[in-house]
Amino acid sequence: MSLRTSKKDLIEYVVTRTIFYIATIFTSVTLIYVLFKFMPVDAVENIIFQLTSAVGGVYDPESVMELRRNLYEMFGLGGNPIESYILFLQRVFTFNFGPAFISFPTPAFQLVLSRLPWTIGLLLTSTIITWTLGNLLGLIAGYYQNRKFAKVLEAMAIIIYPIPYYVMALILILLFAFLIPIFPLGGGMSIIPEKITLDVILNIIWHSLLPALSLIIPGALGWSFISARTLAIETLSKDYTRYAWIRGLPSRHILRRYVLKNILVPQTTVLALSLGGVFSGAMLTEVIFAYPGVGMLAYRATFSGDLNTLMAVLILSIFAVATSVFLLDLLYPLIDPRIKHR
Amino acid sequence: MSKLKYGRRIISNLIDIYKTSFKFRFGFTVIFLMCIMGFILPLFSPVNPRAWYSVPKEQPPSSRYLLGTTTMGRDVFWELCSSIGKSLTIAVITAMIASHIGLLIGLLAGIRGGLLDRFLMFLTDTFIIIPGFILLVVVVTVMKNFITIPLMGAIISIVSWPWPARQVRSMVLSLRERTFVYTARLSGMNTPKILIFELMPHLLGWHLVNFANTILFSIGTEGSLAIFGLSLLSDNTLGVMLYWAINYYALYRGLWWWISAPIATLVLIFISFYLVSIGLSEYLHRMVR
Repeated sequence: MSLRTSKKDLIEYVVTRTIFYIATIFTSVTLIYVLFKFMPVDAVENIIFQLTSAVGGVYDPESVMELRRNLYEMFGLGGNPIESYILFLQRVFTFNFGPAFISFPTPAFQLVLSRLPWTIGLLLTSTIITWTLGNLLGLIAGYYQNRKFAKVLEAMAIIIYPIPYYVMALILILLFAFLIPIFPLGGGMSIIPEKITLDVILNIIWHSLLPALSLIIPGALGWSFISARTLAIETLSKDYTRYAWIRGLPSRHILRRYVLKNILVPQTTVLALSLGGVFSGAMLTEVIFAYPGVGMLAYRATFSGDLNTLMAVLILSIFAVATSVFLLDLLYPLIDPRIKHR
Repeated sequence: MSKLKYGRRIISNLIDIYKTSFKFRFGFTVIFLMCIMGFILPLFSPVNPRAWYSVPKEQPPSSRYLLGTTTMGRDVFWELCSSIGKSLTIAVITAMIASHIGLLIGLLAGIRGGLLDRFLMFLTDTFIIIPGFILLVVVVTVMKNFITIPLMGAIISIVSWPWPARQVRSMVLSLRERTFVYTARLSGMNTPKILIFELMPHLLGWHLVNFANTILFSIGTEGSLAIFGLSLLSDNTLGVMLYWAINYYALYRGLWWWISAPIATLVLIFISFYLVSIGLSEYLHRMVR
């Protein structure tokens, strides 16, 4: 059997992956439909109650009826199950989630899209930094596992890893914005700019530094550090690495060519999953730092019971995670030659 | 093996871990103290921890008010004690539900294999893809006025069973090929018996690890939902304490004792449960080898 994959295998692989991708999205959307269908409380009436009783607002009865119909369709409630399921699917796949009540009458979907650049900017950068830094540190700590600094790093990781990132955010605010006020307490920027200049960009970066740190510290010294270290230690005990030692290869060569390469494969999966998660984001980080991203939007939506906007965030993030896993599946064989397009 | 022996072996193993692993010992001790604080101390509380304005407001820590008081006139120490109890209760309920669903699905998928395995794993993967936190936000927003402590635990379990399921399945897959399972099968044992007497003793340890991790996950999730205002705001949990402290700007007004008490407790709980879980899994690794 030849090592090269034939064209037919490749097509078959891509086709099965695509089917799997579509099936996953379809199933998760259906699961959400089922969840709402079997919820012990009447979702729609409860939400309408929350909305109408919110600030003592007086609502036009016609618009309440309209709202009720809209919500019943969104959550696939009322009517016979098959019809409501089809209506629900129509809404989901056309991204028609109805108006956002927190910014009426902008469509919820558009509102979420307008906040996306903030979230993506913050989370993409910090995810990539976290991943690179964590793997590098983990690799070095695994390679020199008996040195003192490696042990110190490991002890720090054990303490930092289980702490959720929002607790870390609170600790950082306590330390660096309150006790030693170097960073601003929150917000996306201090002035609303007329046009984008270098100053504005610097100001935005300055405001996002502490939120980014609160994501990078627990990530880089937590999960990706621990897994990279474990993988490095495991690779070092393998026969081929021992053989490389016996052959007298320089240690930098072993580190780069033998250990790093083997760590990268499983760690790329983690990267893809967390890149998918960028979308739904570290919502609490945004809330704690009053950062104007999707998380902050979801927070405001939660407070006013705006389910349309929340649903838009939920469905969009399902699409994002599923898509990034799908792309990873297609790219995997390029990273790891041992995996063939099967 | 009788039921009694089963139980005795587990306890003697746990004592063994307690003696040999510092991580386990430390974590276990802290958790034990937390349980005393959370479940026994509130019985002796001089003030009603849920009542507002029962003590002078915004007092810094002193010998009278151990951890100070809040803007609503509540004693932070007694509020903290009852919060620990409630948070642990929610977490244990989640762990009871989620880790057992995970165990069941993992066992079924691993033992039966074939089409059932594929179907169950597809379901599990789908749940992994759905962003858990947002799903919970949507669900709790809808049920906001009906939430109780057991219900909160049950809701959090919706998103916390997939990882245990995957873990148990991969364990079963590797155990299934061991010689002792073949021996049992060839000597005429049926599948349920093999499951209970041959596989379960090996899985029990991993089940405990999953249990501890689910508790961690549940406390963390309840806290994050509470920051969104989506928890039992009329009751005390660690998350709810954080919520009030953040919403009353405790930090910006210099009431550091109010916000640092729940943060420090959370950090301590997380570290100790994590230490218990790694203490257990290190011991299990040694046993497997």
